[in-house]
Amino acid sequence: MAHTDVIIVCEAGRGQTESANARLISMGGELARHSGGKLVCILAGHGIAEKAAELSCCADEVFVADSPRHADYSPYAHMYVAQHLVKERQPLAVLFGHTYVGMDLAPRLAARLGTDFASNCFDMAIEADAVYFMRPMYRGRIHAKVAMDYRPMIATIQGGAAEDLPARGPGAITSVDVVPEQGARTRVLRTIAPAPGEIDIAKADVVVAGGRGIGERENFRFVSDLAEALGGVAACSRPLVDMGWCGVDRQVGLSGNTVKPKIYVACGISGAVEHVQGMKEAGMIVAINKDPEAPIFRIAHCGVVGDLNEILPRLAAEIRAAGSRTGAGQD
Amino acid sequence: MKIVTFVKHVPTSAVTPRIADAGDRIEEDGLSCEVSEADLYALEEAVHQRSVHGGSVTAVTVGPAKARDALYLAYAKGVDHAIHAVDEIFRGANAHVSVSAAREIVGKQGFDMIFAGIQAEDDLRGRFGVALAEELGIPVITSVTEIRAEPQNGRATVIRELGAGYKQEIEVDLPCLLTIQFGIRPLRYVPVLSIVRARSRKIESVSVEAMAGRPDQLQPEGRFRVVHLSYPEHNTHCELIEGSPDEVARTLAGRLTKASAA
Repeated sequence: MAHTDVIIVCEAGRGQTESANARLISMGGELARHSGGKLVCILAGHGIAEKAAELSCCADEVFVADSPRHADYSPYAHMYVAQHLVKERQPLAVLFGHTYVGMDLAPRLAARLGTDFASNCFDMAIEADAVYFMRPMYRGRIHAKVAMDYRPMIATIQGGAAEDLPARGPGAITSVDVVPEQGARTRVLRTIAPAPGEIDIAKADVVVAGGRGIGERENFRFVSDLAEALGGVAACSRPLVDMGWCGVDRQVGLSGNTVKPKIYVACGISGAVEHVQGMKEAGMIVAINKDPEAPIFRIAHCGVVGDLNEILPRLAAEIRAAGSRTGAGQD
Repeated sequence: MKIVTFVKHVPTSAVTPRIADAGDRIEEDGLSCEVSEADLYALEEAVHQRSVHGGSVTAVTVGPAKARDALYLAYAKGVDHAIHAVDEIFRGANAHVSVSAAREIVGKQGFDMIFAGIQAEDDLRGRFGVALAEELGIPVITSVTEIRAEPQNGRATVIRELGAGYKQEIEVDLPCLLTIQFGIRPLRYVPVLSIVRARSRKIESVSVEAMAGRPDQLQPEGRFRVVHLSYPEHNTHCELIEGSPDEVARTLAGRLTKASAA
């Protein structure tokens, strides 16, 4: 039946793919249950048989384009499989992860189908027979409920924690032979892995991160000092890397690291969507920012509206004093 | 080398826009605007590429009358020409209309490279650049952080982000469209005086309706609608700690010490 199947374009790559795939399976699965259709997964890359088998446990069907030609990401293979399946299945929706790959693919598919797409969706609402997606606008200061009056709906979905996924499948795995691209006007020369940094912030229990709100480069020492007092690591949001104040190994967010510490202290970080993606699963989130409307307060457990250059040094001193009172580290 | 770079005028980052009574849009009255940050990086890169390869840079905006301000800033940053596609009906917010107008403009101008910011700060969609390239039938690479153009050989080598610290080096044939990532190069400070001076520069003005057809006939095949806007709810109860810096530091230190011991 037309407009019932849900296609999810999963990733076998690096970085955020686990949380992106988990959310695609749960949201795609919910939509397929609603429509009574199949959950159909697409995977493209090289050496991805194991990942395909893993995904087949949560999907009704998995279409895999596995070839050395797809070792480096290129939109071609994904688009080839997606367009083919869209034509054949006439699905209700095609969902991508809100990753750099998903954000490269979703607008291409929408343009080729002459439709549109909703990026960055963090939730979905099914009301009667209508499907709505929730997404941020205006730097995350406003949320929008959006509708797509066409099929397939196309969306990129923010990653999230793996949920207890409803059992499906095991789905049939179908291998797809992608016809090589003729006269390609883009050629991937190489994929560059991140240089091993001096620290691995992804493993830290305590992360203290500074953002644009620290004002001056030299103020980053307050961030580092608080991190040291808490026995954690200093990290940052994108603008500090762009300005050359910090290396990318300290960057939290979609472009950099995803962290899940016990404590995350966001200092002068407004809470841009891409940053929040990299830290929203922290156990306790503390925000210090002079703008009371900064989106970071929406996800923080505890917050201070104020000048962090006044607060951070005092906070570090208090924590050191408390540590020496309780004799921490002396036994 | 001929570069066209797109700039979008969006509500200023420092304030939360007011949601209009209609509920599906923001209140435009009294709204102050600025150039979308990612487009500033695109603009900076365009001017840099011209300084290396010669040629010209044309800045284009689609939006209402006040979006001209975005083009004055572009002049102050060093572009050679500026074109304003005047869109009083959708105010630059209808993606199909903006792309149709953009296609007409770049088609007339001719170009080797088109730049656009990776995503606009207002709709956060990341649609415009890719959609324009697909309409023009030219290659597009998203999230570009470095460009080495070789116009004499009809190609460029670029670095693009793949997320999680991964990048790719890609060779692309010209003409092409590149969506520019934040931080591709530092933004230069623009003295207020040069923006004032830029206000005497000529902006070519074209009507979106004349290019893209009558708005009521522009109903795209696939409609994407904002049904309702809302201010985000707090996911958790955010406990605000108040007091003097000393008091705040003491209370917060207590919370943090307790949480780290847990």
